[in-house]
Amino acid sequence: MGSGARDCRAPPERASFGAVTDSSSAASRALAADPRARLVAALVGTGDEDRSAFRDLYALTSAKLFGICYRICGERQAAEDVLHDVYLTIWKRAGAYEPHRASPITWLATIARNRAIDWRRAQAVRRSSPIEDVPPILDEAPLVSETMLADEASHLLHGCLDGLEDNQRAAIRTAFFDGVTYAELAERQNVPLGTMKSWVRRGLARLKACLEASVGE
Amino acid sequence: MSDETAPDDIPDMAAAELALGLLDGEDRAHALRRMLAEHGFAQDVERWRKHLAALFDLWPAMEAPRGVLARVERTIDGPAASPAVPAKRRLFWPVAAGLSSVAAAVMLVVIVTRPLPLSGPAPRPVAAAHAAILVASIDRGKAGAPVTAVYDPNSAALRLTPAALAEADRSAELWVIAGDGVPHSLGLLKPSGPSSFTVGHDNRARLATGAVLAVSIEPVGGSPTGLPTGPVVAKGALAPV
Repeated sequence: MGSGARDCRAPPERASFGAVTDSSSAASRALAADPRARLVAALVGTGDEDRSAFRDLYALTSAKLFGICYRICGERQAAEDVLHDVYLTIWKRAGAYEPHRASPITWLATIARNRAIDWRRAQAVRRSSPIEDVPPILDEAPLVSETMLADEASHLLHGCLDGLEDNQRAAIRTAFFDGVTYAELAERQNVPLGTMKSWVRRGLARLKACLEASVGE
Repeated sequence: MSDETAPDDIPDMAAAELALGLLDGEDRAHALRRMLAEHGFAQDVERWRKHLAALFDLWPAMEAPRGVLARVERTIDGPAASPAVPAKRRLFWPVAAGLSSVAAAVMLVVIVTRPLPLSGPAPRPVAAAHAAILVASIDRGKAGAPVTAVYDPNSAALRLTPAALAEADRSAELWVIAGDGVPHSLGLLKPSGPSSFTVGHDNRARLATGAVLAVSIEPVGGSPTGLPTGPVVAKGALAPV
Protein backbone atom coordinates (compact mmCIF):
# COMPACT_ATOMS: atom_id res chain seq x y z
CA MET A 1 0.00 0.00 0.00
CA GLY A 2 1.42 3.34 -1.02
CA SER A 3 0.79 6.76 0.35
CA GLY A 4 -2.81 7.81 0.48
CA ALA A 5 -3.91 4.21 0.85
CA ARG A 6 -6.27 5.18 3.63
CA ASP A 7 -8.25 7.41 1.33
CA CYS A 8 -8.73 4.91 -1.43
CA ARG A 9 -8.92 1.64 0.42
CA ALA A 10 -12.31 0.84 -1.10
CA PRO A 11 -12.09 0.99 -4.88
CA PRO A 12 -15.31 2.18 -6.56
CA GLU A 13 -15.91 -1.07 -8.41
CA ARG A 14 -16.38 -3.00 -5.19
CA ALA A 15 -19.73 -4.57 -4.43
CA SER A 16 -22.12 -2.38 -2.55
CA PHE A 17 -23.49 -3.25 0.85
CA GLY A 18 -26.65 -1.33 -0.04
CA ALA A 19 -27.44 -3.66 -2.91
CA VAL A 20 -27.68 -6.57 -0.55
CA THR A 21 -29.89 -4.91 2.01
CA ASP A 22 -32.25 -3.20 -0.46
CA SER A 23 -34.85 -5.85 0.02
CA SER A 24 -34.74 -5.77 3.80
CA SER A 25 -36.40 -2.51 4.68
CA ALA A 26 -36.81 1.14 4.11
CA ALA A 27 -34.61 1.56 7.14
CA SER A 28 -31.51 0.53 5.23
CA ARG A 29 -32.19 3.19 2.61
CA ALA A 30 -32.64 5.83 5.27
CA LEU A 31 -29.36 4.66 6.74
CA ALA A 32 -27.56 6.06 3.74
CA ALA A 33 -27.90 9.58 5.16
CA ASP A 34 -25.64 9.03 8.14
CA PRO A 35 -25.92 5.43 9.15
CA ARG A 36 -23.50 5.47 12.00
CA ALA A 37 -24.85 8.60 13.68
CA ARG A 38 -28.41 7.29 13.58
CA LEU A 39 -27.31 3.92 14.88
CA VAL A 40 -25.37 5.49 17.72
CA ALA A 41 -28.38 7.64 18.61
CA ALA A 42 -30.64 4.60 18.63
CA LEU A 43 -28.23 2.60 20.77
CA VAL A 44 -27.65 5.41 23.25
CA GLY A 45 -31.41 6.01 23.44
CA THR A 46 -31.91 2.31 24.11
CA GLY A 47 -29.46 2.67 26.98
CA ASP A 48 -31.80 5.29 28.44
CA GLU A 49 -34.58 2.70 28.23
CA ASP A 50 -36.25 4.68 25.46
CA ARG A 51 -38.53 2.16 23.82
CA SER A 52 -38.89 4.08 20.54
CA ALA A 53 -35.10 4.28 20.22
CA PHE A 54 -34.98 0.53 20.83
CA ARG A 55 -37.54 -0.02 18.05
CA ASP A 56 -35.49 2.16 15.75
CA LEU A 57 -32.39 0.18 16.65
CA TYR A 58 -34.25 -2.99 15.86
CA ALA A 59 -35.41 -1.64 12.49
CA LEU A 60 -31.85 -0.60 11.64
CA THR A 61 -30.05 -3.75 12.70
CA SER A 62 -32.38 -6.75 12.91
CA ALA A 63 -31.75 -7.86 9.31
CA LYS A 64 -27.99 -7.73 9.83
CA LEU A 65 -28.14 -9.55 13.16
CA PHE A 66 -30.66 -12.11 11.90
CA GLY A 67 -28.33 -12.82 8.98
CA ILE A 68 -25.60 -13.58 11.51
CA CYS A 69 -27.80 -15.76 13.72
CA TYR A 70 -29.30 -17.67 10.81
CA ARG A 71 -26.04 -18.52 9.16
CA ILE A 72 -24.46 -19.80 12.36
CA CYS A 73 -27.51 -21.56 13.84
CA GLY A 74 -28.49 -23.03 10.49
CA GLU A 75 -32.17 -23.21 11.30
CA ARG A 76 -34.85 -20.61 11.33
CA GLN A 77 -36.53 -21.26 14.66
CA ALA A 78 -33.24 -21.39 16.53
CA ALA A 79 -32.03 -18.24 14.81
CA GLU A 80 -35.25 -16.51 15.81
CA ASP A 81 -34.85 -17.57 19.44
CA VAL A 82 -31.23 -16.46 19.47
CA LEU A 83 -32.20 -13.13 17.90
CA HIS A 84 -34.72 -12.64 20.71
CA ASP A 85 -31.98 -13.25 23.30
CA VAL A 86 -29.61 -10.96 21.44
CA TYR A 87 -31.99 -8.00 21.57
CA LEU A 88 -32.79 -8.72 25.18
CA THR A 89 -29.07 -8.57 25.93
CA ILE A 90 -28.78 -5.35 23.94
CA TRP A 91 -31.67 -3.82 25.90
CA LYS A 92 -30.02 -4.71 29.20
CA ARG A 93 -26.51 -3.66 28.27
CA ALA A 94 -26.98 -0.67 26.00
CA GLY A 95 -26.79 1.70 28.97
CA ALA A 96 -23.12 1.02 29.26
CA TYR A 97 -22.32 1.45 25.56
CA GLU A 98 -19.87 4.27 24.87
CA PRO A 99 -19.89 5.59 21.31
CA HIS A 100 -16.26 6.66 21.41
CA ARG A 101 -15.00 3.26 22.39
CA ALA A 102 -16.55 0.93 19.86
CA SER A 103 -18.38 0.96 16.56
CA PRO A 104 -22.05 0.32 17.31
CA ILE A 105 -22.47 -2.38 14.68
CA THR A 106 -19.37 -4.23 15.87
CA TRP A 107 -20.71 -4.13 19.41
CA LEU A 108 -24.09 -5.46 18.27
CA ALA A 109 -22.81 -7.99 15.74
CA THR A 110 -20.34 -9.43 18.25
CA ILE A 111 -23.18 -10.11 20.69
CA ALA A 112 -25.15 -11.83 17.92
CA ARG A 113 -22.25 -13.96 16.71
CA ASN A 114 -21.29 -15.08 20.21
CA ARG A 115 -24.87 -15.91 21.18
CA ALA A 116 -25.34 -17.92 18.01
CA ILE A 117 -22.07 -19.79 18.54
CA ASP A 118 -23.06 -20.53 22.15
CA TRP A 119 -26.29 -22.01 20.91
CA ARG A 120 -24.53 -24.06 18.27
CA ARG A 121 -21.98 -25.48 20.65
CA ALA A 122 -24.64 -26.25 23.24
CA GLN A 123 -26.56 -28.27 20.63
CA ALA A 124 -23.36 -30.00 19.57
CA VAL A 125 -24.59 -29.45 16.00
CA ARG A 126 -22.26 -30.86 13.40
CA ARG A 127 -22.91 -29.96 9.80
CA SER A 128 -20.52 -31.44 7.30
CA SER A 129 -21.45 -28.77 4.78
CA PRO A 130 -22.75 -25.23 5.00
CA ILE A 131 -26.50 -24.73 4.96
CA GLU A 132 -27.95 -24.17 1.51
CA ASP A 133 -30.59 -21.48 1.59
CA VAL A 134 -28.51 -18.71 3.06
CA PRO A 135 -27.32 -15.65 1.11
CA PRO A 136 -23.66 -15.96 0.17
CA ILE A 137 -21.01 -13.98 1.99
CA LEU A 138 -19.79 -11.08 -0.10
CA ASP A 139 -16.41 -11.40 -1.76
CA GLU A 140 -15.45 -7.78 -1.54
CA ALA A 141 -15.62 -5.16 1.13
CA PRO A 142 -18.35 -2.61 0.59
CA LEU A 143 -17.67 1.04 -0.08
CA VAL A 144 -16.63 2.89 3.02
CA SER A 145 -19.58 5.25 2.59
CA GLU A 146 -21.99 2.33 2.67
CA THR A 147 -20.64 0.42 5.58
CA MET A 148 -21.94 0.77 9.08
CA LEU A 149 -18.57 -0.14 10.51
CA ALA A 150 -16.48 2.82 9.43
CA ASP A 151 -13.74 1.89 11.86
CA GLU A 152 -10.24 3.15 11.28
CA ALA A 153 -8.85 -0.31 10.78
CA SER A 154 -11.86 -2.05 9.28
CA HIS A 155 -10.45 -2.20 5.76
CA LEU A 156 -6.99 -3.26 6.73
CA LEU A 157 -8.12 -6.81 7.26
CA HIS A 158 -9.70 -7.16 3.83
CA GLY A 159 -6.48 -6.15 2.14
CA CYS A 160 -4.40 -8.48 4.28
CA LEU A 161 -6.76 -11.43 3.74
CA ASP A 162 -6.33 -11.00 0.00
CA GLY A 163 -2.64 -11.75 0.46
CA LEU A 164 -3.21 -15.25 1.87
CA GLU A 165 -3.19 -18.61 0.11
CA ASP A 166 -6.67 -19.60 -1.03
CA ASN A 167 -7.00 -22.49 1.42
CA GLN A 168 -5.84 -20.31 4.32
CA ARG A 169 -8.26 -17.52 3.49
CA ALA A 170 -11.18 -19.88 2.92
CA ALA A 171 -10.64 -21.64 6.25
CA ILE A 172 -10.39 -18.39 8.21
CA ARG A 173 -13.47 -16.98 6.54
CA THR A 174 -15.46 -20.15 7.16
CA ALA A 175 -14.45 -20.16 10.82
CA PHE A 176 -15.68 -16.61 11.19
CA PHE A 177 -18.90 -16.81 9.19
CA ASP A 178 -20.05 -20.32 10.06
CA GLY A 179 -18.84 -20.32 13.66
CA VAL A 180 -17.19 -23.72 13.31
CA THR A 181 -14.29 -25.32 15.15
CA TYR A 182 -11.10 -26.83 13.76
CA ALA A 183 -12.66 -30.27 13.89
CA GLU A 184 -15.62 -29.19 11.76
CA LEU A 185 -13.41 -27.30 9.33
CA ALA A 186 -11.27 -30.38 8.80
CA GLU A 187 -14.32 -32.56 8.32
CA ARG A 188 -15.81 -30.20 5.75
CA GLN A 189 -12.64 -29.98 3.73
CA ASN A 190 -11.95 -33.67 4.19
CA VAL A 191 -8.41 -33.10 5.40
CA PRO A 192 -6.72 -34.34 8.58
CA LEU A 193 -7.13 -32.11 11.63
CA GLY A 194 -3.38 -31.40 11.75
CA THR A 195 -3.42 -30.23 8.14
CA MET A 196 -6.28 -27.86 8.79
CA LYS A 197 -4.58 -26.45 11.88
CA SER A 198 -1.43 -25.90 9.92
CA TRP A 199 -3.26 -24.07 7.10
CA VAL A 200 -5.07 -21.84 9.51
CA ARG A 201 -2.09 -21.09 11.76
CA ARG A 202 0.15 -20.23 8.85
CA GLY A 203 -2.60 -18.04 7.44
CA LEU A 204 -3.14 -16.30 10.76
CA ALA A 205 0.59 -15.73 11.20
CA ARG A 206 0.76 -14.12 7.77
CA LEU A 207 -2.33 -12.07 8.49
CA LYS A 208 -0.78 -10.88 11.74
CA ALA A 209 2.44 -9.82 10.02
CA CYS A 210 0.47 -7.92 7.37
CA LEU A 211 -1.78 -6.19 9.94
CA GLU A 212 1.18 -5.20 12.10
CA ALA A 213 3.09 -3.86 9.11
CA SER A 214 0.08 -1.80 7.97
CA VAL A 215 -0.63 -0.42 11.42
CA GLY A 216 3.03 0.43 11.88
CA GLU A 217 3.18 2.54 8.71
CA MET B 1 -2.86 -31.79 22.53
CA SER B 2 -2.58 -32.02 18.76
CA ASP B 3 -0.11 -29.15 18.97
CA GLU B 4 2.68 -31.67 19.34
CA THR B 5 2.03 -33.01 15.86
CA ALA B 6 2.47 -29.56 14.33
CA PRO B 7 5.91 -28.72 12.99
CA ASP B 8 7.99 -26.34 15.05
CA ASP B 9 7.85 -23.54 12.51
CA ILE B 10 4.11 -23.08 12.97
CA PRO B 11 3.67 -20.20 15.36
CA ASP B 12 1.42 -20.11 18.40
CA MET B 13 -1.75 -18.41 17.19
CA ALA B 14 -3.95 -19.29 20.15
CA ALA B 15 -5.15 -15.70 20.65
CA ALA B 16 -6.44 -15.53 17.08
CA GLU B 17 -7.86 -19.05 17.31
CA LEU B 18 -9.79 -18.14 20.43
CA ALA B 19 -11.04 -14.91 18.87
CA LEU B 20 -12.27 -16.82 15.82
CA GLY B 21 -13.92 -19.52 17.92
CA LEU B 22 -11.89 -22.35 16.38
CA LEU B 23 -11.02 -24.06 19.63
CA ASP B 24 -13.04 -26.55 21.58
CA GLY B 25 -12.59 -28.93 24.48
CA GLU B 26 -9.32 -28.81 26.35
CA ASP B 27 -7.66 -26.47 23.83
CA ARG B 28 -10.37 -23.89 24.47
CA ALA B 29 -10.23 -24.32 28.23
CA HIS B 30 -6.45 -23.87 28.08
CA ALA B 31 -6.75 -20.67 26.04
CA LEU B 32 -9.38 -19.34 28.44
CA ARG B 33 -7.08 -20.00 31.38
CA ARG B 34 -4.31 -18.10 29.59
CA MET B 35 -6.72 -15.25 29.12
CA LEU B 36 -7.23 -15.01 32.83
CA ALA B 37 -3.56 -15.47 33.65
CA GLU B 38 -1.71 -13.51 30.93
CA HIS B 39 -2.60 -9.91 30.38
CA GLY B 40 -0.71 -9.76 27.07
CA PHE B 41 -2.60 -12.76 25.78
CA ALA B 42 -5.94 -11.17 26.67
CA GLN B 43 -4.90 -8.02 24.83
CA ASP B 44 -3.92 -10.05 21.77
CA VAL B 45 -7.33 -11.71 21.73
CA GLU B 46 -8.97 -8.30 21.92
CA ARG B 47 -6.84 -6.97 19.07
CA TRP B 48 -7.78 -9.94 16.92
CA ARG B 49 -11.44 -9.44 17.67
CA LYS B 50 -11.22 -5.85 16.55
CA HIS B 51 -9.48 -6.73 13.31
CA LEU B 52 -11.81 -9.61 12.54
CA ALA B 53 -14.83 -7.37 13.12
CA ALA B 54 -14.16 -5.93 9.65
CA LEU B 55 -15.62 -9.18 8.31
CA PHE B 56 -19.03 -8.24 9.68
CA ASP B 57 -19.26 -5.88 6.70
CA LEU B 58 -19.41 -8.86 4.36
CA TRP B 59 -22.23 -10.57 6.20
CA PRO B 60 -25.42 -10.31 4.14
CA ALA B 61 -28.55 -9.19 5.90
CA MET B 62 -31.70 -11.31 6.01
CA GLU B 63 -35.10 -10.03 6.92
CA ALA B 64 -35.89 -11.09 10.46
CA PRO B 65 -39.09 -13.06 11.05
CA ARG B 66 -42.10 -11.00 12.03
CA GLY B 67 -42.98 -10.80 15.66
CA VAL B 68 -39.51 -11.00 17.19
CA LEU B 69 -39.52 -7.38 18.31
CA ALA B 70 -42.94 -7.81 19.92
CA ARG B 71 -41.68 -10.94 21.68
CA VAL B 72 -38.60 -9.12 22.94
CA GLU B 73 -40.76 -6.31 24.29
CA ARG B 74 -43.06 -8.78 26.04
CA THR B 75 -40.03 -10.36 27.68
CA ILE B 76 -38.71 -6.96 28.74
CA ASP B 77 -42.05 -6.13 30.30
CA GLY B 78 -41.98 -9.42 32.16
CA PRO B 79 -44.51 -12.21 32.52
CA ALA B 80 -46.75 -10.11 34.76
CA ALA B 81 -47.23 -7.63 31.93
CA SER B 82 -49.17 -9.99 29.69
CA PRO B 83 -52.25 -8.22 28.31
CA ALA B 84 -54.68 -10.07 30.56
CA VAL B 85 -53.16 -8.63 33.72
CA PRO B 86 -54.18 -5.11 34.71
CA ALA B 87 -51.27 -2.77 35.24
CA LYS B 88 -51.97 -2.19 38.91
CA ARG B 89 -51.74 -5.83 39.81
CA ARG B 90 -48.31 -6.15 38.30
CA LEU B 91 -46.56 -4.48 41.15
CA PHE B 92 -47.36 -6.52 44.20
CA TRP B 93 -45.40 -9.71 43.69
CA PRO B 94 -42.13 -8.30 42.43
CA VAL B 95 -42.09 -5.81 45.28
CA ALA B 96 -42.95 -8.40 47.89
CA ALA B 97 -40.43 -10.87 46.51
CA GLY B 98 -37.82 -8.16 46.25
CA LEU B 99 -38.32 -7.07 49.83
CA SER B 100 -38.18 -10.57 51.26
CA SER B 101 -35.00 -11.42 49.42
CA VAL B 102 -33.40 -8.15 50.43
CA ALA B 103 -34.24 -9.07 53.99
CA ALA B 104 -32.77 -12.52 53.50
CA ALA B 105 -29.65 -11.07 51.97
CA VAL B 106 -29.18 -8.60 54.77
CA MET B 107 -29.54 -11.34 57.35
CA LEU B 108 -27.08 -13.52 55.54
CA VAL B 109 -24.55 -10.78 55.13
CA VAL B 110 -24.70 -10.26 58.87
CA ILE B 111 -24.07 -13.94 59.39
CA VAL B 112 -21.33 -14.20 56.83
CA THR B 113 -19.42 -11.24 58.14
CA ARG B 114 -19.56 -12.47 61.72
CA PRO B 115 -16.22 -13.81 62.83
CA LEU B 116 -17.40 -17.40 62.69
CA PRO B 117 -15.91 -20.17 60.59
CA LEU B 118 -18.12 -20.52 57.50
CA SER B 119 -17.73 -24.25 57.41
CA GLY B 120 -19.14 -24.69 60.90
CA PRO B 121 -22.69 -25.72 61.58
CA ALA B 122 -23.64 -22.38 63.15
CA PRO B 123 -25.66 -20.80 60.30
CA ARG B 124 -27.98 -23.76 59.95
CA PRO B 125 -30.95 -22.47 61.92
CA VAL B 126 -31.35 -19.44 59.64
CA ALA B 127 -30.88 -21.24 56.35
CA ALA B 128 -33.06 -24.15 57.31
CA ALA B 129 -36.29 -22.31 56.52
CA HIS B 130 -35.62 -22.45 52.76
CA ALA B 131 -33.60 -24.40 50.23
CA ALA B 132 -29.84 -24.01 50.50
CA ILE B 133 -28.90 -20.38 50.13
CA LEU B 134 -25.33 -19.95 48.94
CA VAL B 135 -22.82 -17.27 49.77
CA ALA B 136 -19.38 -16.41 48.50
CA SER B 137 -16.78 -14.12 49.90
CA ILE B 138 -15.26 -12.65 46.74
CA ASP B 139 -11.70 -11.92 47.70
CA ARG B 140 -10.09 -8.79 46.30
CA GLY B 141 -6.64 -9.47 47.71
CA LYS B 142 -4.95 -6.31 48.89
CA ALA B 143 -7.39 -4.08 47.00
CA GLY B 144 -9.94 -4.01 49.80
CA ALA B 145 -12.50 -5.88 51.84
CA PRO B 146 -14.10 -8.89 50.17
CA VAL B 147 -17.38 -8.50 48.36
CA THR B 148 -20.12 -10.72 49.71
CA ALA B 149 -22.40 -12.49 47.26
CA VAL B 150 -25.62 -14.13 48.33
CA TYR B 151 -27.56 -16.42 46.02
CA ASP B 152 -31.07 -17.59 46.72
CA PRO B 153 -31.88 -20.51 44.41
CA ASN B 154 -35.57 -20.23 45.28
CA SER B 155 -35.90 -16.88 43.54
CA ALA B 156 -32.73 -17.06 41.38
CA ALA B 157 -31.76 -13.76 43.03
CA LEU B 158 -28.08 -12.97 43.34
CA ARG B 159 -27.01 -9.98 45.39
CA LEU B 160 -23.62 -8.45 46.02
CA THR B 161 -22.50 -5.94 48.59
CA PRO B 162 -21.29 -2.59 47.21
CA ALA B 163 -17.75 -2.40 45.86
CA ALA B 164 -16.17 -0.03 43.38
CA LEU B 165 -14.03 -2.52 41.50
CA ALA B 166 -13.62 -0.76 38.17
CA GLU B 167 -12.45 2.70 37.15
CA ALA B 168 -15.10 4.99 35.71
CA ASP B 169 -14.15 4.11 32.14
CA ARG B 170 -14.37 0.36 32.73
CA SER B 171 -17.03 -2.11 33.76
CA ALA B 172 -16.71 -4.81 36.40
CA GLU B 173 -18.27 -8.02 35.10
CA LEU B 174 -19.29 -10.96 37.25
CA TRP B 175 -18.70 -14.51 36.05
CA VAL B 176 -19.51 -17.96 37.30
CA ILE B 177 -17.06 -20.77 36.65
CA ALA B 178 -18.63 -24.15 37.30
CA GLY B 179 -17.82 -27.72 36.33
CA ASP B 180 -17.02 -26.98 32.69
CA GLY B 181 -14.23 -24.60 33.72
CA VAL B 182 -15.55 -21.93 31.37
CA PRO B 183 -16.56 -18.49 32.67
CA HIS B 184 -20.20 -17.59 32.05
CA SER B 185 -21.26 -13.99 32.48
CA LEU B 186 -23.77 -13.15 35.19
CA GLY B 187 -23.83 -9.45 34.38
CA LEU B 188 -22.19 -6.16 35.24
CA LEU B 189 -21.68 -4.89 38.77
CA LYS B 190 -23.01 -1.47 39.60
CA PRO B 191 -20.28 1.16 39.98
CA SER B 192 -21.79 2.12 43.34
CA GLY B 193 -24.27 0.56 45.70
CA PRO B 194 -25.23 -3.11 45.89
CA SER B 195 -25.70 -5.12 42.71
CA SER B 196 -28.51 -7.55 42.17
CA PHE B 197 -29.28 -9.97 39.38
CA THR B 198 -32.00 -12.38 38.49
CA VAL B 199 -29.95 -15.28 37.27
CA GLY B 200 -30.98 -16.62 33.86
CA HIS B 201 -32.00 -20.23 33.34
CA ASP B 202 -28.67 -21.20 31.80
CA ASN B 203 -26.69 -20.10 34.81
CA ARG B 204 -28.94 -21.36 37.60
CA ALA B 205 -27.53 -24.85 37.58
CA ARG B 206 -24.01 -23.43 37.59
CA LEU B 207 -24.54 -21.57 40.85
CA ALA B 208 -23.88 -24.46 43.16
CA THR B 209 -21.55 -25.23 46.03
CA GLY B 210 -17.95 -24.99 44.89
CA ALA B 211 -18.65 -22.88 41.80
CA VAL B 212 -16.35 -19.87 41.61
CA LEU B 213 -17.58 -16.31 41.23
CA ALA B 214 -15.03 -14.02 39.62
CA VAL B 215 -14.98 -10.35 38.68
CA SER B 216 -13.04 -9.15 35.64
CA ILE B 217 -12.40 -5.64 34.42
CA GLU B 218 -13.93 -5.13 30.99
CA PRO B 219 -14.57 -2.37 28.50
CA VAL B 220 -17.60 -0.31 29.39
CA GLY B 221 -20.69 -2.36 28.70
CA GLY B 222 -19.01 -5.61 29.52
CA SER B 223 -16.98 -8.08 27.57
CA PRO B 224 -17.96 -7.84 23.91
CA THR B 225 -17.02 -11.46 23.44
CA GLY B 226 -18.96 -13.34 26.06
CA LEU B 227 -15.73 -14.29 27.81
CA PRO B 228 -13.48 -12.34 30.17
CA THR B 229 -11.08 -10.11 28.27
CA GLY B 230 -9.52 -8.18 31.14
CA PRO B 231 -7.79 -8.97 34.41
CA VAL B 232 -9.61 -10.84 37.15
CA VAL B 233 -9.62 -8.66 40.24
CA ALA B 234 -11.63 -10.74 42.66
CA LYS B 235 -12.86 -14.26 43.12
CA GLY B 236 -14.38 -16.63 45.63
CA ALA B 237 -16.20 -19.94 45.84
CA LEU B 238 -19.86 -20.46 46.70
CA ALA B 239 -20.67 -22.31 49.87
CA PRO B 240 -23.96 -23.15 51.52
CA VAL B 241 -24.98 -21.22 54.59
